[in-house]
Amino acid sequence: MQKEDQSNQYVPDEDDLLLVERVLAGDRRAFEPLVRKHERRVFRLTLAVLGNIEDAEEAMQDTFVKAFRHLDQFRREARFTTWLTRIAINEAIQKRSKRKNLVPLAEAETATEQFTPKRYESWKSNPEQLYGKQEIHQIVESAIQSLPEIYREAFVLRDIEELSAEEAAEALGITVPALKSRLLRARLMLRETLAEKFEEPATLRTKIVHTAVDAGTAVAMRMMRAAGM
Amino acid sequence: MKTMDCKDVLANLSCYLDGEGSAELRAALEKHISRCRRCRVVFDTTGRMLKIVTDTAPFEVPLSVSARLYTRLGEVLSEP
Repeated sequence: MQKEDQSNQYVPDEDDLLLVERVLAGDRRAFEPLVRKHERRVFRLTLAVLGNIEDAEEAMQDTFVKAFRHLDQFRREARFTTWLTRIAINEAIQKRSKRKNLVPLAEAETATEQFTPKRYESWKSNPEQLYGKQEIHQIVESAIQSLPEIYREAFVLRDIEELSAEEAAEALGITVPALKSRLLRARLMLRETLAEKFEEPATLRTKIVHTAVDAGTAVAMRMMRAAGM
Repeated sequence: MKTMDCKDVLANLSCYLDGEGSAELRAALEKHISRCRRCRVVFDTTGRMLKIVTDTAPFEVPLSVSARLYTRLGEVLSEP
């Protein structure tokens, strides 16, 4: 799963640029195809930051209205996607900071502590095929939604929207090491949550064998002998 | 490079999955996971989790949410 660092290769998206030019030249209707192309991305970003559909919807609307009204400030050396992403994240973060019952940022501190996995059974060979399309959507979406927001937003920006670490860190106003540490934790937490659905149910035998193997060869031999294997 | 313990290995999981880090680091990680069942499971299933999430393409815009977006934009675009 190799990701290219896109920070130094802002390839202007020709279609986006042409549409932007048309809007700026007075053809307002040309804004609509731009929205169609980017609405899902903007929705995912605002949902990742805000965590609920109602707030995400409002932030998404405000993002596009702001983008339309400030389109003349778009610098063409950047990709339109990058510019729009910044607006969306800013809108969502501003909205979040206005919430009354703001979750204290104390949870950010825990990001520096390492997350210790608890589940060590392997997964079934094609676990996603055991569920229907709708069911798998529901499983994946609720697992992502259950992440604390600082991990959820890092995960969505990097692993779903595929921003580079630098772009994601800049958009969230945090350092690259902080972003990477949150992303690692998000990935490990999601793995843990999805393991409940996807892992191979361990028999007593495999449990004993695994415990023994994990403890080291000498102990393994003793335990397996004791279990009559 | 000295032998890595499970904690060091886990801290470098993202490097491994994202294809970052030196060849030396990757070799050390591979050496560890070839011998450590638990780390092997964590590395393998985290990679599979990422693939499942990407293949699923989660979070579509609900139709009603999308419809209200275009209504609002329609108003904004027709402002004088």
